Amino acid sequence: MDATAGEAARGLIFDVQRYSVHDGPGIRTTVFLKGCLLRCAWCQNPESLRPHPEVAFYADRCRELGQCLAVCPRDALQPDTERVVRDRCDACELCAAACPHGAFEVVGRRVAANELVEEVQRDRAFFEASGGGVTLSGGEPTLQMAFVGAFARLCRDLGLRVGLQTCGAFGWAALEPLLSDFEFVHFDLKIMDPQDHRRWTGADNRSILENARRLAAGEWPVEFRMPVIPGRTDSLSNLESVAAFLHELRVERIRLLAYHRLGEAKLPRLGYPIPPLGSAPEPNGKTQLEAAREHLRGLGLEVLT
Amino acid sequence: MIRPSIHSGDSGQKTPEPLALSERVRQIHETILRAAPALCAERALLVTRYFRRRTDRAEPRVVRKASALAYLLRNKKVRIYPGERLVGCFTSYRVAGGLYPELHGVAMMEDLFRFDKRAVNPIRVDPKARRRLLLEVLPYWLPRFVALRSFSPLGALAFVLDQLSPASYVVNETGGVSHFVPDYAGLVSRGTEGFRRQAASRLAELGVDSPAGPFLRSVALVCDALEAFADGYRRAAQKLASREADGVRRRELERIAEICSRVPRKGAGTFHEALQSILFAQIALNLESLDNGVSPGRLDQILGPFYQRDLAAGVLDREDAFELLGCFALKLCEIVPVFSERTTRIHGGMMNGQAVVVGGTDAEGKDASNAVTDLLLDLMDRLRTRQPNYHARLHRSSPAGYQLRIARALAGGAGSPALYNDEVIVPILRAQGMTERDARDYATVGCVEPVAAGKSFQSTDAALFNLPLFLELALNRGRRFGSWRRMGPKTPRAETCSSIDEVIELFRAQLEHGVARLLRALAAIEDGNARWHPTPLTSMLLRGCLATGRDATHGGALYNGSGIQGVGVVEVGDSLAALEAVVFQHRRASLREVVTACRQGFRDCDALRARLLRSPKFGNDDPRADRFVGRAMELFAATLEGRENRRGGPYVAGFYSMTAHQAFGSLVGALPSGRLPGTAFSSGLSAGPGCDRRGPTAALCSVASLPLHRAPNGVNFNLKLAPWSVAEPAWLQGLVRGGFAAGAMQMQINVIDPKILIEARDHPGRYPGLLVRISGYSSYFDDLSPEMKQEVIDRTLCEAVAG
Repeated sequence: MDATAGEAARGLIFDVQRYSVHDGPGIRTTVFLKGCLLRCAWCQNPESLRPHPEVAFYADRCRELGQCLAVCPRDALQPDTERVVRDRCDACELCAAACPHGAFEVVGRRVAANELVEEVQRDRAFFEASGGGVTLSGGEPTLQMAFVGAFARLCRDLGLRVGLQTCGAFGWAALEPLLSDFEFVHFDLKIMDPQDHRRWTGADNRSILENARRLAAGEWPVEFRMPVIPGRTDSLSNLESVAAFLHELRVERIRLLAYHRLGEAKLPRLGYPIPPLGSAPEPNGKTQLEAAREHLRGLGLEVLT
Repeated sequence: MIRPSIHSGDSGQKTPEPLALSERVRQIHETILRAAPALCAERALLVTRYFRRRTDRAEPRVVRKASALAYLLRNKKVRIYPGERLVGCFTSYRVAGGLYPELHGVAMMEDLFRFDKRAVNPIRVDPKARRRLLLEVLPYWLPRFVALRSFSPLGALAFVLDQLSPASYVVNETGGVSHFVPDYAGLVSRGTEGFRRQAASRLAELGVDSPAGPFLRSVALVCDALEAFADGYRRAAQKLASREADGVRRRELERIAEICSRVPRKGAGTFHEALQSILFAQIALNLESLDNGVSPGRLDQILGPFYQRDLAAGVLDREDAFELLGCFALKLCEIVPVFSERTTRIHGGMMNGQAVVVGGTDAEGKDASNAVTDLLLDLMDRLRTRQPNYHARLHRSSPAGYQLRIARALAGGAGSPALYNDEVIVPILRAQGMTERDARDYATVGCVEPVAAGKSFQSTDAALFNLPLFLELALNRGRRFGSWRRMGPKTPRAETCSSIDEVIELFRAQLEHGVARLLRALAAIEDGNARWHPTPLTSMLLRGCLATGRDATHGGALYNGSGIQGVGVVEVGDSLAALEAVVFQHRRASLREVVTACRQGFRDCDALRARLLRSPKFGNDDPRADRFVGRAMELFAATLEGRENRRGGPYVAGFYSMTAHQAFGSLVGALPSGRLPGTAFSSGLSAGPGCDRRGPTAALCSVASLPLHRAPNGVNFNLKLAPWSVAEPAWLQGLVRGGFAAGAMQMQINVIDPKILIEARDHPGRYPGLLVRISGYSSYFDDLSPEMKQEVIDRTLCEAVAG
């Protein structure tokens, strides 16, 4: 991959989080890509959903100075608590610059693959010292396949390791040629029952499971993960189906992810009147995670948490 | 493709569990933790009595100083406490501090009636001792203490008044110099006999009437004094042994007596003797001059050969050595500084800065860690005491086991050791003119200062300088906000500046004026110390002094210098960055508006302040802020450059702050960074409270990007981490190695659950041994002022949430 391709491939990201220690081995920088096909009821990163830059409005920071209203060229701001008229706003950032209190933040910035490489390289010393690297997360990274591919290839050429986190909804033919550039793939399993899956994530799970089969059949280091969402993913029948599915794939290990409700606070800032798909369930305590872990262990899986 | 181990679980590395503390060490530790610090008048009374007698008035000052120390060491109370294997007492109490009336003691005596009543760092004072201090000590020294004698009468008045509530700077050297790593390697190999011989032969070469005569004679006197000090303990141990019913203890006491009959007179023959020899010298040095920064240095290097030899001879085992090291560490905890409340604001936390450093390379550059290194690392993990101030050196080839031991101690909340990067520090020392071998053999002094062990008389804590104050002056034509008195030159109005460079130029002008004032005061104090307070014992234990025949205060040591700390450099950098962003780049406000807002302390300026606060801040790996902190460092270092102290060494900059970032901060008005008037600056090179929002790697990248070579006197950088973020030792190890590979010079890591800190704040006494790292040293949490406690909590909380 030459440098011009790195410049040509531009992606939309919404955060670069350094010192991430739970997204793969060692000290990592996690890059969050914007845009997702799924609409999970429990989504913890609702700012990742829309595939375009948007403006988040923090009502608690607003001091009613009105400076934002004066500068908006598209008449996309209203003096109410929601403030941003989503279908008029093009995230031009003028309001964010005008407000001294930082009540607006633009979520999503376009970045060229080689620029992003420069950015993550800043922690290279820590990656090398700890066996870490970069993790691409989201949103759903594979929605920006060209960018992801260009980025991973540039990193590989520089000796930086890159891991990929995916919900599994991707076109196999597009991802397969890139797989050898990844240090690992974290693959999220959620709900096995097709109807329930559609109900709580808004998407069909057939292609997801098919991708899981293909990945597991290959030589790629895949880690299957499942968020433990009370009443959604932790039912006995779902756990049993997950275990059966992994056994069928000859996969012996799964990592369970704890759930928290921090995503909910973000919803009003982004103009989601209600959670994208129904309301989020009650946060589970450690006990639910432990119960799921015990159950899956009983079903013969090695369970990481 | 390599199949990585996906789970980050176990790193596969294992080191043996740290050794357990022996019952003896645990008991001594408990006794010391329980002992309420006292003021011990013994030193002040004996030294005063000696000088009052005036029997040797005709003698040169250096001889009188040696005789005074001898008088003190011969007449001070001898105490051997139950179970002790190493003997010798700093004071006549279990835990206490002395007074140094010829130095800063007179100023400390302003608290004589409040020491025991004050809320922070209370010190017991015996009423009888208080009376004697008032009647015998104070009247004699009031017209004679060094700071007073250093100036003309009017100059002295001005200086003392200024230093009573110091705004621009604090001259610590008025309390004496100390702050060095004694040549303990020489002491344990040659003993006082060796030094006495060297002094005698030098005297024979130069002649008794040569200028070196008095100093060389004084060396013989302090050798006698040290031997007499040891002999007092020999007799006491023998006496105790003769009355001891318990056979085991009796043999221990007999062994102590035997050791005290040999060292420090002779070179040490065993590990035990080496430690005892060092302890006697350590005590005597703390009594000779300022009880601060007398740093034992590279104990693992000094003791390693003794340990191996004893082990081979079968006279020592690992547990035994561990116990002796524990006894040594606890001895160093028996002394605390006696500071008035004023001084406590700057030097809070009751610590004497007795630094011990482990690891690093030898003079050839090869890794030098050894079995004693491991023992000392285990000790700092198991026995979490405020003293010694433990440091660890790291270089490219530091062994994995060594790193893991350090990571385990820190992740477990030990708070020690603070970490030093050889790859950065050795070249800095080389650039200061140190030989390659000496630079590689560096040790640390006091808080964070790297020096040549046994060779540098560096006065590393000569003064602290309040950098942000000079930014305030720059913005207000040489006056503090709201004041009519002009402190600095009348520079042009800040409002007329059309670029950040012009603002920086105003700052530089104010800075130069302030530094010039400081250096004039320092030169006077240096002369005062040389004339009135020579330190023959210190000098004997510094290479160069015997050869040149000059006392260290006269520049006799091999390496000389003075370290001056720029406090609040991050605040200055953040302020410049905010001005650049808000005023010059985005033109969201005029300079006049910002200055007016600062003058008003941001009253009714919420919007502007919010904007300033949101501008780039140091600690986020953001060059827009980091480069201004670098500029401020460069400016301060450049103002010191090219000036020589009276001992013939350079003035060099350091960027660590002890607790002066609180004290200085309380005096400075609002600043363009958005900081409110009177609030604390950040500690050393740490980011402002709540300003580092991108995690520890970004903060480390920021600090690594600074021109650290302009800080030969050392820096401190605090990294506070929530326990979850270092659940794997590999993460902490990665932070340290990564930060040092990126070019950081120093870091001190605190891993503490904020809940425990809050509990400790609300219930003093519940966690008596809770150790937190402040700014180059550790302190018991309970010993901190309420403001410092809150600062530690705020920083920890913010990390926990942001992380």
